[in-house]
Amino acid sequence: MDELDPVIHAQARLRIMAALSTLEADGSISFPRLQELLDMTAGNLSTHLRKLEDASYVDITKAHKGRTPITYLGLSKKGRRAFEDYMDNLRTVLGEQP
Amino acid sequence: MSNSEQRPSDAAAHAERTPNVDDDAPLDPAAMYALMQNQQRSIETQMGAFVPYITLAWGLTWLVGFGALWLIDGLQPAFSLPLAVAVPVFIATILISGGFSAWLGIRSGRGMRGNTASAFTGTVYGITWSIGAFALGFLGSGLQSQGMTAELANFYYPSAYVLFAGIMYIIAAAIWHAIPSLIGGCWLVAIAVAAPFFGYPGHYLFLALAGGLAFIALSIYGAVEQRRMRAVTNGGHRG
Repeated sequence: MDELDPVIHAQARLRIMAALSTLEADGSISFPRLQELLDMTAGNLSTHLRKLEDASYVDITKAHKGRTPITYLGLSKKGRRAFEDYMDNLRTVLGEQP
Repeated sequence: MSNSEQRPSDAAAHAERTPNVDDDAPLDPAAMYALMQNQQRSIETQMGAFVPYITLAWGLTWLVGFGALWLIDGLQPAFSLPLAVAVPVFIATILISGGFSAWLGIRSGRGMRGNTASAFTGTVYGITWSIGAFALGFLGSGLQSQGMTAELANFYYPSAYVLFAGIMYIIAAAIWHAIPSLIGGCWLVAIAVAAPFFGYPGHYLFLALAGGLAFIALSIYGAVEQRRMRAVTNGGHRG
């Protein structure tokens, strides 16, 4: 059995990955909306997103709405695969078939 | 990563208000699995929070709109709602619900960016509503120009539009995997086909009650279901 991915295996980052996994492939969500949906503080969300970004699990793109800059976040292909692998490993640990 | 829309002072103030949760630590595997499932359900519930409001708006629209059309002749001779009042009421309720639905839909999708394929799907679906509405109107005019009587037009227009709305609901269910939309769509198709058998003006009353009350019931069911989901997912961690 593979080890549970330590990048994802933390409560806040699992919640972020789970939330982003509900977006369609190549879909993304703005930072404030994700923060609202997760009910996390901006600082906490930024901290954990940085760790996911360092692992290349999250794609971050900058856009502008008028003059206001907006940060969009979505799972990268690597991140989506890592989340699926994590779920398979978690189910294996729990004795379910992946 | 920095959030360009959040001022650092706001973020710091928010962080101070939030209990210091050690959310960098993992829970046991079963709890982590439950956390993941709760989080996904929570997102889906929040994203769909607007649906019961739209369903309720359309339920009221049907009840009031078709109810107004029924009142033209339905309670004769005791009471008659003038045609000049009933038709504008019917059109106004549809326009209000349409606008309200569009506003809620846009609000619910704020901050979200889909991929190109989904944007195309959404645009084509939206335009299809307009194409269908105009096409059915022109078709009705064509049929009337070829001798369809005003009495028959009273059956054609409501049934054609309700049938079309039902099919669009079913298509929406197929695209966005929405079971309530599938149920509502099938129901609309059924009542559109059944309505003419009630005769004039009973078919308006039938559409008002069978359409309006069904959508209001669907809205209440949706709201109760969302409240239940929120109760389940509120066990999730915050921080």
